[in-house]
Amino acid sequence: MMQKKTVKFYFALWLAKGSSLLLKIFRRNGTQLPGKLALKLCPNFLGMLGKPNTIIGVTGTNGKTTVCNMINDILTDNGYDFVNNKYGSNTNAGIVTTLIKGATMSGKSKKDMVVLEIDERSSNRIFPYLTPTYLVCNNIFRDSLQRNAHTEFIASILNKYIPKETIMIENADDLICSHIADNNQKIYFSISQLKTDTKECQNITRDIRVCPKCYAPLEYEYVRYHHIGKAHCPNCDYGTRKADYVVTNINLDNKEMTVQHQEQEEKYHLVSNNIINIYNMLAAIIVLKQLGLTREQINSSFAKLKIVETRFSEEEYHGYHIITQLSKGMNPIACSRAFDYVRKQPGNKVAIVVLDDTHVEANSSENTAWQYDTDYEFLKDDSIKQIIIAGPRYLDGYIRLMMADIEPEKIVHEKDLIEATEKIQLEGIDKIFILHDLYLIQEAKQIKNKVKEMIDQKSEERANEE
Amino acid sequence: MKIEVLFPEFCNLSGDMANIRYLRKCIPEAEVIETSIDMEPAFNTQEDINLIYMGTLSEIAQEIVIQKLKPYQEKIKELIEKGQLFLFTGNSVEVLGSYIENEDGSKIQGLGIFNVHAKRDMMHRHNSLFLGDYEGIEIVGFKSQFTMLYGNNEQNYFIKAKMGVGINPESKLEGIHQNNFFATYLIGPFLILNPQFTLKLMELMKVEKPTLAFEEDMLKAYQERLAKFKTLTY
Repeated sequence: MMQKKTVKFYFALWLAKGSSLLLKIFRRNGTQLPGKLALKLCPNFLGMLGKPNTIIGVTGTNGKTTVCNMINDILTDNGYDFVNNKYGSNTNAGIVTTLIKGATMSGKSKKDMVVLEIDERSSNRIFPYLTPTYLVCNNIFRDSLQRNAHTEFIASILNKYIPKETIMIENADDLICSHIADNNQKIYFSISQLKTDTKECQNITRDIRVCPKCYAPLEYEYVRYHHIGKAHCPNCDYGTRKADYVVTNINLDNKEMTVQHQEQEEKYHLVSNNIINIYNMLAAIIVLKQLGLTREQINSSFAKLKIVETRFSEEEYHGYHIITQLSKGMNPIACSRAFDYVRKQPGNKVAIVVLDDTHVEANSSENTAWQYDTDYEFLKDDSIKQIIIAGPRYLDGYIRLMMADIEPEKIVHEKDLIEATEKIQLEGIDKIFILHDLYLIQEAKQIKNKVKEMIDQKSEERANEE
Repeated sequence: MKIEVLFPEFCNLSGDMANIRYLRKCIPEAEVIETSIDMEPAFNTQEDINLIYMGTLSEIAQEIVIQKLKPYQEKIKELIEKGQLFLFTGNSVEVLGSYIENEDGSKIQGLGIFNVHAKRDMMHRHNSLFLGDYEGIEIVGFKSQFTMLYGNNEQNYFIKAKMGVGINPESKLEGIHQNNFFATYLIGPFLILNPQFTLKLMELMKVEKPTLAFEEDMLKAYQERLAKFKTLTY
């Protein structure tokens, strides 16, 4: 797959390296400009660039960043020297930028290993030039309908472009992702049946309802969420694959999970109580074990890990828990998972929901169709006492909540995020969830500060009364 | 009052099912018949269906649905002629066209009910906002599609575009409207976004006293979106 280097390649490499240096001087590390530049000058650049011997790729709809962060942190903690695109983009330009950083002036790789988060939609521009040793596919769900269209489209791109030499690490509980690259060598993972699993799907969307071979309705033994679960076709051999690594027990009290592989059981410290992150952990464990790390090495690193604060944070403040959680707008499954998580947490809660794409709204108007594939219905729960929905599309958000049969008295809807937050009612509340879009991290911090201000004010009022 | 939803296990992309969920809120007494791919369509045996609906579907599903509907080709033609009310959203109208053409020139034969054909361009998805006019009602919406439709719809278009594209980038005439058959490429909560058209649709469904669920808020959101769209240049 390695292509012969041309004069154009060297010119592009040196120019890209020069731009990397300039960006470093100006402390602009997160950009994919060097990669863009290299690809503009030499479209086959990725095919000519030297690559590390071991390439770990992580793709799929949700959890790519978290799985990569886990792999990166544990490898670093165990003294591995490697490159990654943690601070860069996961598209072809971002991947080229990462590999340029790890390459010599002659275009040879300086490192023996790379960990790459790979955008599934960009795989047609990546895999023809790069063969991952291992490729994790955590799940395939509906995502931005404007970019990713539907799961069949994404699966078809992956099927077409994933190199046949790549060893796939796939989620067996996801019927769509576990059937990708079916002629490749595979390692499957799964979480065995949970008490919270149901017979019927509780979500609006389930992207595989009939057998793709004979179109008979699939029979689910249990549904975890959306199309995640265990299913089979009553007419043919299509169904959930047998997993090689299985989480057989989750002990939330001890923050521990048991992983079974080839009759052996191993226990791991849980980084998070969220089922999505347990899948993420399991995928990371398999990659790390394939690289030769022991359970002890992996587990002692897990004990030090935290989910990145911009994705999830929890703070106790004067008796209230304030939780910020990334809920990618336009991604119906990510938002549905976040809503489900909120309703299932103990205590009385307020949910502050800010999911509008403010970048789009600045010069255009957001396509809000995704809201109707998202389970806002999960916010209709007795334990959620108030829902604050704010942002430029606050009226659409309000109507979506009404469509979910949520009582209007429970809803605050305002355009301004802070003015909406000021309407919070803290009486009898244990937890305040701030569910925010990827592009609203700063705004989520401002909301959190406002919530703290409101809590301070309430504490002061109480003290005065006493 | 009966609404038949065709093949909801396939034709449920892009939030389109919100249209049916909203109609349920507006017409609580309506019976919603969900016809799956292994069932005989209710429109073939029952004469009192007030609305036949089909939503956005994948490319593979289009082929499955075409095969499924082939035996009912004449029946669908006859129903359209008789004034049966249909609403097709997203790319679902393509199954009723002459053919769907792939990038490599290969063609999938459609039901041939309308003399239009679709062309796929799977690596270049079209996304746009839409503002147009249907019989004095301003229609707003979103397009997100891999295909464009070609053919002459001058005599049977649904909406005249003021902003955005019609059935293809060279056309300002969006969708198909023939007798009581309505098809539009606008996706998602079309009826929620367009309360005035929803009222019209309910009239055509012969709802006795058509009333919009959450009317005040729906109209407020509609007016706000309309105002915003009118500030945009496309």
